[in-house]
Amino acid sequence: MVADSGDASTRRTARRVAGRLNAPLPALVETGFGGAPRVVNRQLVALVREEWRVVDRWWTEQPVDRRYFEVVLESGQNVCVYRDREEGCWFTQNA
Amino acid sequence: MIACLLIPGFELRAALRSRPRLALVPAALAPDPSEEPLLGPVTAAASTVGVKPGMRLGEALATCPTLALVDRDPAAVEQEWEEVLRRLEDTGFAVDPVEHGVVVFETRGVERLYGGVQQALERALEAVGSGWDPRIGAATRRFTALAAASVARPGQILLVAEKEEESFLDPLPLSLLPLTRERYAELEGLGLRKIGELADLPGGAVAERLGTDGHKAWGLARGGRKAKVRGRKAAAELAEVLVFPEAVGNELTLRRALGSLLERLLARPERAGRPFRKLAMSARLVDGGSWRRAVTLRDATAEVARLRTALGPKLQELPAPLLELRLEAVELAEHTGQQLALVEPGGEETAGRLREGLRQVRASTGSGSVCAVVEVAPWSRIPETRALVVPRDE
Repeated sequence: MVADSGDASTRRTARRVAGRLNAPLPALVETGFGGAPRVVNRQLVALVREEWRVVDRWWTEQPVDRRYFEVVLESGQNVCVYRDREEGCWFTQNA
Repeated sequence: MIACLLIPGFELRAALRSRPRLALVPAALAPDPSEEPLLGPVTAAASTVGVKPGMRLGEALATCPTLALVDRDPAAVEQEWEEVLRRLEDTGFAVDPVEHGVVVFETRGVERLYGGVQQALERALEAVGSGWDPRIGAATRRFTALAAASVARPGQILLVAEKEEESFLDPLPLSLLPLTRERYAELEGLGLRKIGELADLPGGAVAERLGTDGHKAWGLARGGRKAKVRGRKAAAELAEVLVFPEAVGNELTLRRALGSLLERLLARPERAGRPFRKLAMSARLVDGGSWRRAVTLRDATAEVARLRTALGPKLQELPAPLLELRLEAVELAEHTGQQLALVEPGGEETAGRLREGLRQVRASTGSGSVCAVVEVAPWSRIPETRALVVPRDE
């Protein structure tokens, strides 16, 4: 079978829709005092570098209420996690 | 409506076309030598004696010592599948093949032609032929159509109305969802057995416990997204075949045969001077099996010497002497030549090479594999809304 560039019969698993860049990924987080993360994805947190809140779109049906933490893990890795107060879950994301 | 036509165990059925006697005895598709020794699809006779697809080879042979192992026949599978798709296309359906044995299409365009959804789908079953035991599921969503086809009997058309989709999916087993074996085990450990039980859980909790794959499966359990089916553009056949009077295994002879096939393929008027982007070589082996390799060229070319260099080494991978060698042009490039400039502007060569590289990636991995990052709201406080990844097909 032959097809011109831009079309091929073999392209069965093609992804044709636009996707989000930097979409949040679910994270396993154990919290300590004050709700700050103590363990992130089974790694101990060595240091919480920064903390901030993002409250936005409260006027829509999909409001955003997140508490972000930038942490350094014991392995030295820098990770940004947030707790979604709407869904009640933790996610990792490059903020 | 979106319809899904399913032919279970297509690879085994295609391999058995040349050995129909084996379809009546306990037989299974042999595992791929390069992968884990797990059985492929099995015949009905094998299933009745306890042999199941995915079973370990040793366990299957212990369960049924007379089990016949059918060698994989990738060339026959490709050919038979293409014929099935063409018959559906000839009936008027714009098909979107998912994998061998699974194809999705919209019925909207032909409903009036055939007098309704049911009649149109009956025509689709007729077109495929009862020998393949096809079954069809139809619904307003893709996943529901696939689930309906999975539970339909051979030759049955299962239509699921939009308002009944949720109640239809709820009692179905979780195994219909695209999850890894570990994830199924995890869900079973949590006491979940049916799609409805997963769909009832809160999405956030599922994402936290099972990750991205689990969240996707949860979305499907709730019916999945409504999306249109885009039919493939019908492809034209451009292939050359060389049949040998007796089995050939000599590399020199094979290379000469390849050269001859290349010259014949290059001389075909349908090519209209366009160079090859992707080629596939297939062979019918002396023991009845087949072999197939596809090659994507870094630079689209129509030069015999370069094509020989790219394809020649693949002949060393042939597992046995062959009786028939086939060379097929899978994809052609658009351009027929390059306009050279006397003095090229700075960076032009790099940009040209980059474009060519991207075309090669697209040809080997498919449309939508090359994406561009487009900033939509760089000022946003919500990181995932700042930019989108948009497929770039040119």
